[in-house]
Amino acid sequence: MAEEIVDVLIIGSGHSGGMAAKVLTEKGISCLMLNAGPIADVKKDTEVKPAYTLPYRGFRQPGQLPHVFQANEFNANTWVDEKEVPYTYDPGNPYNWVRVRLFGGRSLFWSRASFRLSDYEFKGKSHDGYGDDWPISLADLAPYYSRVEGIFRVQGQLSGLPQFPDGNFIPDQAPWSGCFQRLIAAGKPRNIAVCRQRTSLGINGLASSVNLLLPDAFATGKLRAIPNVVVCKLTTDKNTGLVNEAHFVDRISRREMSVKARVVVLAAGTLESTRLLLNSELANSSGVMGHYLIDQIYGAGITCSVPEARDGKATPGLMGGSALIPRFRNIDTKAKNFLRGYSINVWSSTGPMDPRSFAAYGDELHRKLDSYHGSGISTNIMGEVLARPENHVRINKDVVDAWDIPVLHIETKYTDNEFNMARDCVDTAVELAEAAGFEVLAKNYDPNPPGYSIHELGTCRMGNDPKTSVLNKWNQSHDIKNLWVVDGSAFVSAGWQNPTMTLTSLAMRASEYLAEQMRQGNV
Amino acid sequence: MRGLLEAKPLPVGQFTPDAIAQTDAHFFSPQQFATLHRLGEILQPRYKDYPGATEAGAPEFLDFLISVSPADRQQMYQSGLDRLESEAKQHFGKSFASVDAAQADQLLRPWLRTWLSDHPPTEPYALFINIVHTDIRTATMNSQAWSDAAHRAGQRPPDVDLYWYPVDPDLRRNPSNNGRN
Repeated sequence: MAEEIVDVLIIGSGHSGGMAAKVLTEKGISCLMLNAGPIADVKKDTEVKPAYTLPYRGFRQPGQLPHVFQANEFNANTWVDEKEVPYTYDPGNPYNWVRVRLFGGRSLFWSRASFRLSDYEFKGKSHDGYGDDWPISLADLAPYYSRVEGIFRVQGQLSGLPQFPDGNFIPDQAPWSGCFQRLIAAGKPRNIAVCRQRTSLGINGLASSVNLLLPDAFATGKLRAIPNVVVCKLTTDKNTGLVNEAHFVDRISRREMSVKARVVVLAAGTLESTRLLLNSELANSSGVMGHYLIDQIYGAGITCSVPEARDGKATPGLMGGSALIPRFRNIDTKAKNFLRGYSINVWSSTGPMDPRSFAAYGDELHRKLDSYHGSGISTNIMGEVLARPENHVRINKDVVDAWDIPVLHIETKYTDNEFNMARDCVDTAVELAEAAGFEVLAKNYDPNPPGYSIHELGTCRMGNDPKTSVLNKWNQSHDIKNLWVVDGSAFVSAGWQNPTMTLTSLAMRASEYLAEQMRQGNV
Repeated sequence: MRGLLEAKPLPVGQFTPDAIAQTDAHFFSPQQFATLHRLGEILQPRYKDYPGATEAGAPEFLDFLISVSPADRQQMYQSGLDRLESEAKQHFGKSFASVDAAQADQLLRPWLRTWLSDHPPTEPYALFINIVHTDIRTATMNSQAWSDAAHRAGQRPPDVDLYWYPVDPDLRRNPSNNGRN
């Protein structure tokens, strides 16, 4: 029987767990990584197929993955099935919890949009009086952002905008296509900057923990990893109060096992880390754990056509490419009916138009699709959702998952701040598009349900006061000194930015601090 | 087992039942199915060398798809098809299956909307008209008949993508029991 006590147990294998493993093992610390799902082998697990060979002809299997709008029949087997790992919610306030348990987690499939938070987010309360400031500033995290951007090979252009902090970028020197030059011109008199996207190039289009972080960790010889084990509970030493053991279930056989560890690093993804701690009844002397669930609003946007690109006249010089309009509201002026701000994703298509952009059918629709082919330009919002204590998760002991682990009840909803923000975004996009000479074909003011962005954040927020926060500024539990939570649950506010660069930089910073604490014998 | 390991793969390829067989439609009533069939002819007729909904077997496929769909989707389809039939009789004194193109246009066009992904119209009948349009179009363009036509035209068929098989599936999963085994 194994008697080993591992130095650091890392739960989760996505960007944050991968970064923790890389940092700690490179400093000579032995780590054991547990992951709830299997290892994907693309050579064995995938095949290029036409939709007609699939059971449902490319439609989603009816009733399957009802809250994963991103799912289709091709990728359905990559997502967590909520029948296997359920969660509960008020039917009037649904939540889209979008999960991947394959080894590497959601880092396998993320969009690779790579942004820094600014001090308009880290110090949001100081700027507008709402919510709470983070216990750190951009200056604290900037050195780690730079290193993470180097690892992920972030391509971008410097903007000089304080709300869109510059970083360590591979220069993006591609010229703007004509449609974006027109959008830039439309933005200037309105003080709305149209910037280049910032994207992790990674390696061959993959910027995951499985190719950028974990190979370095394994190369040290200090990392071992076990897939297909579902951690259900952490327990503590009765004498010291320190966490010292993780209990898990073999995903296939249901065999129950446990492993002892000197330090535990949680990186299971925001809500799974919080679920594990709530089920373990640990680290919550503040009572804040589970609260301040935040994400970002998506779904509100417009579809347009560039008239000069129709009827076969779309050229690479006129169409194609993408842009990011960073937050411009509530920077120097005050919006009339919402706090904080949003960014606008803009992309130009050189391919077919979405037929839903036309109120037509039959031959008329075919003719329109032929005429408009290659002339599309569309927008989508990424908007900040305010951190509110009432938006929370808690354990629902009446429902368990496939391994008899109690599930989360998720209680969250958007308010007028988010709805007004979405409306302002669409109206602004229409104004910009019309000023640029685009034809607006379709628009939507309604955000997708909470959770859709796959940017769930908060619920174990960091802070200086142990009475109002779960973690200190180093992602270390206020209550249990050998417990770290390094994923998105530490966020105090969401911002509009895709959170991957921030949570990975926080994981790097926290792991280096942990390594130093271990070296000094403090942990 | 050695023989199995050394056997050459058979040329089964991507031949599907649709290449030779028809879907047996049995979910919708004969009246509803006739309405759906006519909708397919109107909304997605043959275009150039590509098949229309009828040639692609779209109505029969949708009969199957809706038969295994959640109750709210079944109800939306059934009530929508019934209303279309009712309006055809009210306005033209005949079944929707017998209306001409101009008459169908009078019944359908007022309900056509433009919309963005995941945000279809909210009014129930407009929702039905726009969803059935999208479904007929998808069932047609994702058919083997359409794919064959694309190949003949030297075009890449739409909706060819990377399919993920179940990864190391948990065979004890019992979806009908809310995750419990």
